[in-house]
Amino acid sequence: MACIQGKAKTKGITERVSGMKQEKEKIDLLLERNANEQLAGVNWDRLNAAISERLNQAGRSKTSKMKYRRVFKIAAGIAVAAAVVFIAVMIRTDTPTTVRFENRGRAEVKFIESKGSASVKIEHASAKAAAVVDLGGSRRKVAKCDIKIIDTSVDKEKNDSRPAWIIIRMPEPVLADNGISKDENDFACLL
Amino acid sequence: MNNSLKVETSDIERLVKASQAGDRGAFDEIIRLYQRRAMRISVSMLGNANEAAEAVQNGFFKAYLNIGKLREPKRFEAWFFRIIANTAISQRKAAKCRAEKINIAGGSGSKKVFSPVEREIGEELKEAIQRAMLKLSKKEAKAIALFGIEDLSREKVAEIMDCSAEAVRWHVFKARQKLKVLLKEYLE
Repeated sequence: MACIQGKAKTKGITERVSGMKQEKEKIDLLLERNANEQLAGVNWDRLNAAISERLNQAGRSKTSKMKYRRVFKIAAGIAVAAAVVFIAVMIRTDTPTTVRFENRGRAEVKFIESKGSASVKIEHASAKAAAVVDLGGSRRKVAKCDIKIIDTSVDKEKNDSRPAWIIIRMPEPVLADNGISKDENDFACLL
Repeated sequence: MNNSLKVETSDIERLVKASQAGDRGAFDEIIRLYQRRAMRISVSMLGNANEAAEAVQNGFFKAYLNIGKLREPKRFEAWFFRIIANTAISQRKAAKCRAEKINIAGGSGSKKVFSPVEREIGEELKEAIQRAMLKLSKKEAKAIALFGIEDLSREKVAEIMDCSAEAVRWHVFKARQKLKVLLKEYLE
């Protein structure tokens, strides 16, 4: 009895599987038939011509794009070169110099050089301090020096003897190795 | 039926290399060899020859622009079919809108100024299949078109779809299940 039931069950599964396969095939056949019928209506020469025309247009725009790209590259190169020159000139002519004190509180002096004139902004005054001089740009050096600071924040009325200059003097032999003499690296900054 | 359209790998490799070197004639030969299969894949995915023709044109255009980037010419076929399938997929949105318009109008109003398709075919069935195909997910549409209709091997479809053969089997199964429901009346 169990054997008969088992056989019936197997038969049922087989029928279901073959039924599913048939359905799958039916679907595939339907889609395939649809594709075939639609493709039967295609004018291949016309499609080919349409594709070729599209590619010809692409070829033409490709050529003009390449031409424009070359012009753009040259223009970009010129612009970059000009920018580099401009930045180099700016760095050389307007080099900020920072002086950091080694004293407590690390007061800061910002020194700006430009075309023979100079100005010094003193954020915190401190007399006769050992300082690190950091020259910006191409002349960048770090050295210890003696520094005499004139405090510009002091009011003229209160202090008539307001000094008009500052000296930042490099100690030897800090800059001797690059052949620049000590005198050349001293700064006399007019306030 | 596709065997007659299949191309020797060595021939296609030669044509691809020539195309990469800028030989337009070689690419024209590629078009001639592959346009039918490209159309077949697109029609299968979009369910409409006019939409498919547009996708095929775009597909060849993309292939032409990017053939220089193909590193292994012997794998051209998979690369190209991927472009065609992706182009057809990206056109599905527009195709869906047009199909819906047709459906609302209750007839075939998609007459174009230029169409490579000369005659209308089995309108009702065509539209039903198109609507059904557009209801499949992108992966299901690709899988059923490439595996079920174009008769490519599961491994090849996996390569085109950039997934595993098992994933392809699953997408085909899901696609068939959905289509079975959507096209029930035509399967009886």
